[in-house]
Amino acid sequence: MRELILFGIIAATYLMVIAKRVPALIRSFRYQSFFLFLITLAAAIEEGHADLYWVALLILILKVLFVPYAMYRIARRINVDENLGLLVNSQLSLLIALALTYCSRIFSRTLGFHQDFRAVAITVAFAVVFIGAFLMVSRMKAFTQVTGLLVMENGIFLFGSFLSGGMPFLVEIAISLDVLISVIIMGLFVYRINKVFTHIDVNKLSRLRG
Amino acid sequence: MGIVVILGIPVALAAAALLIKRQRVFGMLNCAGYLAVLCASILLLRQTVLSGNVALLGNFIYLDVLSAFFILVISVVAFSVALYSVGYIRHDIAEGKLSESKARVYYALFNLFCCSMFVVPAVNNLGILWVAIEMTTLVSAFLVGFYNSKESVEAAWKYIIICSVGIIFALLGTILFAYAFSLSAGVKSLNWSAITAGAARMDATILKVAFIFVLVGYGTKAGLAPMHTWLPDAHSQAIAPISALLSGVLLKTAIYAILRFGMILIKGAGFAYFSHLMLLLGVLSLAISCGFVLVQKDLKRLLAYSSIEHVGIIAIGFGVGSPLAIAGAALHILNHAAVKSMMFFGAGSIVSVYKRHSMNTIRGVISVLPFTGIMVLLGCFALTGFPPFSLFVSEIMIIIAAFTSGSYLLAGALLAGLSIIFGAFIFHFGKMLFGNLPKGMARRAEPLSAKIAFLFLFVPVCALGPVMFFIKKDVVWIARMLFQH
Repeated sequence: MRELILFGIIAATYLMVIAKRVPALIRSFRYQSFFLFLITLAAAIEEGHADLYWVALLILILKVLFVPYAMYRIARRINVDENLGLLVNSQLSLLIALALTYCSRIFSRTLGFHQDFRAVAITVAFAVVFIGAFLMVSRMKAFTQVTGLLVMENGIFLFGSFLSGGMPFLVEIAISLDVLISVIIMGLFVYRINKVFTHIDVNKLSRLRG
Repeated sequence: MGIVVILGIPVALAAAALLIKRQRVFGMLNCAGYLAVLCASILLLRQTVLSGNVALLGNFIYLDVLSAFFILVISVVAFSVALYSVGYIRHDIAEGKLSESKARVYYALFNLFCCSMFVVPAVNNLGILWVAIEMTTLVSAFLVGFYNSKESVEAAWKYIIICSVGIIFALLGTILFAYAFSLSAGVKSLNWSAITAGAARMDATILKVAFIFVLVGYGTKAGLAPMHTWLPDAHSQAIAPISALLSGVLLKTAIYAILRFGMILIKGAGFAYFSHLMLLLGVLSLAISCGFVLVQKDLKRLLAYSSIEHVGIIAIGFGVGSPLAIAGAALHILNHAAVKSMMFFGAGSIVSVYKRHSMNTIRGVISVLPFTGIMVLLGCFALTGFPPFSLFVSEIMIIIAAFTSGSYLLAGALLAGLSIIFGAFIFHFGKMLFGNLPKGMARRAEPLSAKIAFLFLFVPVCALGPVMFFIKKDVVWIARMLFQH
């Protein structure tokens, strides 16, 4: 069952890689966060920690409900065209994503995970982090960079919860709040870029050189 | 007890900034608050040196000499920035660049920024340390984009994105460190005091992989090449007092984080690995900044690249790793913070009078702003490591340590880099300070608060040499106090 949820996470990540428009990207991010919520819930049921239920609830509220909603809102308010501006087309992006997944497998093996369930989980977590980073560098809109960052953060979360059995509750809360604040602040800056430059193409931000 | 004052005052001042309407009153209050913080941090350092580590709130806050030293560096710069802000913000309001209400927002953000920096060395938990460093980015991004011009918004965006990505890798590294610790000790903890104590039994392979992530992550924030690309933009576009904070201490808090993880790595996996990585990034930073300093046209970018150079020197110092080099690098952190703040204050005053950043059009500063001009001239010599000043002492300590440890190539590279930058700085600043006065420029009044800020910073810039005679301990003692191994 848990393997299936992990499969869902990686599938949602691939969906983001091939997305060409803003709504598709946000929708896939919501799927990914939802699977993350499911896997935390599964872990909570299995281990019976009250803390884990709270963490799962936090993910549901923040990453499944609030963040995608806020992103939709920003996308509608700035009202620019919905194309993501792919620097690498979606077929090639998918191939790169597959290659990154393979690298993650090698990585998790060097860390000493060979066969069990955790090996799959760590591989998926690394893959999500790397693909998030790839999304950030290969898409032109400021908007996508924020999404890429959130994807990376999801990957880190997965990594943390399967590597050392979750971080202390306090740290988990602090990191989640941090994510929330950073999304709000980046949203504000996307607004500002749009207002000052009348576009959000990051590759056209080139006034500062040398 | 001191640490409560240090963390509490900025929070209280941030709230007060939004409530108190009169700029003048609040400016004074701000300076008084940071003077108190400065005194508290001196007492804190004294306490940690004399009677050992300080723990509070069930080990949540845990300070050794290294933490107290970084808190002292932050409070020195924060106090001088509070002083300098008074005159600078008043001038900006008079010119119509800022509104009264925006000035209040500035003070609130400045205090939050300082508070998040004070949290970094104070906490024991490496996860909270990560959160604090990320908070410094988020708060200061507003201060970088404060004027809302095209350039400043672009700089703020680059800053927030590059540093956030970098720091995510640092979180990955932190989790790996915690994992290695839980494998060897059987208990879970993120406290550096616990992890450092159990470091010797940890798996060396995992530590090495984890440290790479940490170094890339916090190295981005520290401005080590090749992850430095955000730094010149952010430093040149931020408001002048904030440039001083960014360059003087924000970079150093990231170095603090690297050192904490480095100490665990050294205990668990040996010194050679840590040393090679630090030397590699240090030399790279020095080389890249040399090139950009030579061809630079923008005054504040010139200073920003010089920050990359000095972070590189500090990394080299810790990479060499003998007691002499470590003491040199630690002192260099304080010296660079003081001198670089002074230079950014000078640059801020010059830019606000001449209304441009380009060094080709700024001439005759010494006759327009005599006091600032003289301070910038002295600061320029101090920054490039000229003999009577403190930076000369700390740089020569690192170079001697490199020679005595047998790495002649490294010492040669360091000397070559320093002399290139010395030449470039004297060339650029000579023209700006003494050239013919442009038409329509006359002598300007300089605010008293800025003068006090300059003089205050000038004390640590000069003091290190004489102080060395009065401290009856040698450098080995300093190094051992800072790093208990």
